[in-house]
Amino acid sequence: MLFAAVGSVFVLAAITPLLVRVLGRNAGYLGAAALVAVAAWLGSAGPAVLEGEPVTASVAWMPQVGVDLALRMDALGLLFALIVLGIGAVVLAYAARYFAASQPRKASRYLSLLTFFAGAMLGLVLADDALVLFVFWELTSISSFFLIGGLGEGKAGATRALLTTSLGGLALLAGAILLGVVGGTTSLSGLAADPSAVVASPLAPVIVILLLIAVATKSAQLPFHFWLPGAMVAPTPVSTYLHAATMVKAGIYLLFRTTGILAEVPMWTPTLVLLGGVTAIYAAFVAVKQDDLKGLLAFSTVSQLGMIVLVVGVGTPLAVAVAALYTLSHALYKATLFMTVGIIDHETGTRSLARLGGLRRTLPLTAVAGGLATVSMAGLIPLVGFVAKEEAFHALLDAGDWIGPVGITLAVVASFGTFAYSARYYLGTFEGAVVTPAHRAPRSFELPALLTGVAGLVLGLVVPVLDPIVNALARDATGTDPELHLALWHGLTLPLGLSALVVVVGTLLYRGRRRVIALQERRPLPRGADVFDRAYDGLLALGGRVGRSAIPDGPAPYLLTVLGIAVLTVGAATASVDRSLLGAPPTSLPGDIAVIILLLGAAGSAIVARGRLAAIAALGLTGFVVATWFVLLGAPDLALTQLLIETLTVGLVVLVFRRLPGDFPAPGRRRQSLAIPVALVVGVGATFATYVATGRRELSDVGGRLLAEGKDLTGGANVVNTILVDFRALDTLGEIVVLAVAALGIVALVRMVPRDAVPTPTPDDGPTARDVADRRFGGPGMIGSGILRTSTAMLAPVMIAASLWLLVRGHGAVGGGFIGGLVAGSAIILRYLSHGHADVWHHRTTRTVPTVAVGALIAAGYGLAGLVLTGAFLDGTKVALPIVGEVAASLVFDIGVFVVVVGLVAAIVRHLGQSVGDHPLPTTEDEIDDERPTVDDDVDHAPVTTGGAP
Amino acid sequence: MTAALVVGILAAAGTYLVLQRGIVRITLGFVLIGHAATTALLAAGGVARRGIPFVGGEGTPGDPLPQAFALTAIVISFGVTAFLLTLAYRARDTIGTDDVEAPDPTPRSAAPGHRDDTTSRPAPTDVEGRTP
Repeated sequence: MLFAAVGSVFVLAAITPLLVRVLGRNAGYLGAAALVAVAAWLGSAGPAVLEGEPVTASVAWMPQVGVDLALRMDALGLLFALIVLGIGAVVLAYAARYFAASQPRKASRYLSLLTFFAGAMLGLVLADDALVLFVFWELTSISSFFLIGGLGEGKAGATRALLTTSLGGLALLAGAILLGVVGGTTSLSGLAADPSAVVASPLAPVIVILLLIAVATKSAQLPFHFWLPGAMVAPTPVSTYLHAATMVKAGIYLLFRTTGILAEVPMWTPTLVLLGGVTAIYAAFVAVKQDDLKGLLAFSTVSQLGMIVLVVGVGTPLAVAVAALYTLSHALYKATLFMTVGIIDHETGTRSLARLGGLRRTLPLTAVAGGLATVSMAGLIPLVGFVAKEEAFHALLDAGDWIGPVGITLAVVASFGTFAYSARYYLGTFEGAVVTPAHRAPRSFELPALLTGVAGLVLGLVVPVLDPIVNALARDATGTDPELHLALWHGLTLPLGLSALVVVVGTLLYRGRRRVIALQERRPLPRGADVFDRAYDGLLALGGRVGRSAIPDGPAPYLLTVLGIAVLTVGAATASVDRSLLGAPPTSLPGDIAVIILLLGAAGSAIVARGRLAAIAALGLTGFVVATWFVLLGAPDLALTQLLIETLTVGLVVLVFRRLPGDFPAPGRRRQSLAIPVALVVGVGATFATYVATGRRELSDVGGRLLAEGKDLTGGANVVNTILVDFRALDTLGEIVVLAVAALGIVALVRMVPRDAVPTPTPDDGPTARDVADRRFGGPGMIGSGILRTSTAMLAPVMIAASLWLLVRGHGAVGGGFIGGLVAGSAIILRYLSHGHADVWHHRTTRTVPTVAVGALIAAGYGLAGLVLTGAFLDGTKVALPIVGEVAASLVFDIGVFVVVVGLVAAIVRHLGQSVGDHPLPTTEDEIDDERPTVDDDVDHAPVTTGGAP
Repeated sequence: MTAALVVGILAAAGTYLVLQRGIVRITLGFVLIGHAATTALLAAGGVARRGIPFVGGEGTPGDPLPQAFALTAIVISFGVTAFLLTLAYRARDTIGTDDVEAPDPTPRSAAPGHRDDTTSRPAPTDVEGRTP
């Protein structure tokens, strides 16, 4: 039953957007009806629960640590569940008119979130395990963040609320875990049944403090109260539900729930009485000063919550029973008051008391609802608020020790303020002269507020019906039945006299409110929100300072560390090589010497090159020398790959260099004195290590086997290629994924900011440098050569054909997916050079994201096909085809490799190759088919603002 | 000895460049170090056998396994190079230079969603003693 109840509310939240789509904002009424149905269902178990037979439900969750997903509804759970669902239903009905019919998306969002919150809150009050309670507790915090508007205009307030309540959430988690450790179980009913172990533990004060932090943050007690007024930026239905009637009561609920476990701890009662009393008085007097109606109600809520904390804190069965009544009556009148403020705001456009007055005539129903709620809040007969306040005084007078006198004093003083701000709310809004004219509100908008307002009156008149539930609740919480008999009239008692005193002093306070306000303004208290913000900024600054020490100004210190470790590791490994096992070093061939000489020249010029062009040339030369060396070593596949890569690298570097200043900054002396020795050490070390450790091995066993059996196993004579696509295909799959990620990374980096953010050059690297670069590389039109255009037109198809041929023959001879893909990529670059960027951009086959995705999917799909057909991922086979003959299935895999490589090259050309400073490109990469830009190389286009939207 | 010298030269030149200012030179250094690593990998398979490792090839075939490793290593380092250079390109667009150590790089444009750094970075000391 309990799981079904909580679950059904969450399901309702999930389908609310659909309901709104069908019914519009009226879906709120349907949601309200559903919540009422759930409440009625839970209520049907009420009689048994009040007899002391709670409803329970439990499934194993973390049996290793004895935590179950346990729910339990006793009288306390029942009362809170009814408040959550009842007020929830009223608020949904109210929200159905609060949000304009023309804004179904807003209504959908808030109705759904409010319902979700109701589910979380219901789970919270029914949880029977401290950790389950914690989970729901956090869910309410998170949904509160979104309901306040954490991603919109309410960001600051929502963030403060979230961080503050999260702090409390962490304290709750720590407290719950300690409870579990000390008490032997995290089951709340189990702990309440035998609290002796917890009370006797030396950790008891720690647990109390942790739980009180949770209570104070959630229920906005000093010094954490500031988030609640800040949360008033939320739409009024949210303020009504979360920040008046339910979520802020979660802390109070936690007190009720744990009072049976912890009330015996000596610090419990004094701390709570003082905390609650001081908060109640402070907030009541701050509330008197507020001009914003919602601000007044927010501080009023803080004050009233303080009163409840005070009364619960007393801990006697009588006090607990009275506190429950107080909670109920507060939920009713505060929900009413918030709803009336929402109506007033809606119909007049203001919530400022200075601009309100005389609304009784245009908003009669609202005035009735607000009037009833005001009377209840002020504690006047015959509303339920009167009974609650009387009984609270009664329970405090009844408490022993010093608690009684101190508690009653705090409560009475707070009530002075309560009376004054209650009067200010009602008289300032509904009575007196009209200041801002109001529209008439639709009945349906006013009715929910009237409903809860009248409920306060009816409950006051028939208050004895609440006897069973408050008594059962106190019995569940404390183990003793207080046998409280609620009544409007107990005769001329001391509490009645105190109530009269409150009325007199409160009236005086209201009349002298200007002086109270002036007093507060002369001595401004530090605003909690400011303190919070300062602490928050300070924390971030501290983090920045701590992190700063680990962040050098450039990459060199990091790289030095990496290089140092590499040198040490290689050095250690080299030193430990057993020389006796090594054969004689192989003899060098004459060609090798030539390679060394060429390499010295090429690498040397790469080092000394000051201009970027020279550096590119040196880089390319180095790569070609290395490729030559590969040829000499008998690795034609490698040499071909190296040649192609080198060509592409030079093209890539040119594309990037067009955007950069023409020369490198001259290195300083200090850097040289570091870089040169380090480079020499690394070079000598690498030479030595390579000399000692490599070059003289016999053919490895694996290598020998692959040479001997590879052809029979795979049908491919090119053993290197069969290793790539058959024997170690999983490695290759990983590698093409890396290539795909690099391609996507390029796309993301280039697309990241609006294209019109291309900077105007700084004076010293200057427009000249860029202009020169443009001219040097042919300007925006690339190489404007007719011969090149013509020859490319003929050459490019040949290159594509050659790349496909290399791809297909790769299994048996030099070639393969990597090499083929690189040749095809070279064709793209050639096309780019001759025909310009726009031509490449418009070509469907060069679109990056689809291309790399298709390639990776082909390769992965080939692997999965192997898994399905033969039971091994990436398992290849030979297929006999007509005409062609026997073909290895791994060709499919190589096609995937081919496509990914083409996609990477395409990414480079498309995204780095656009002309400097002009040519706006489409906003979203390549995906938009129908919004192809009409970019022409010869026309300058004004930059189009792209991106920028959140 | 040849392989050792090739690796040594490439590693030394690469290390020198990697320790310079500016992402572009650092990238060039990485390319050279990549060459060194590829060569070392290949040399690990032995440089005495220099035949092409094809079934039915002539001479004593080399070890195909290091060749396969080296081949993918070359392509991967190309991907990394492309990515690094894109970073340089991006840096140029965002802070006006690819020199990440340039004193006081004033951001020209903030990407949407990027929060301003609340911690104020102390002005970096100019290692080169050179004004921007």
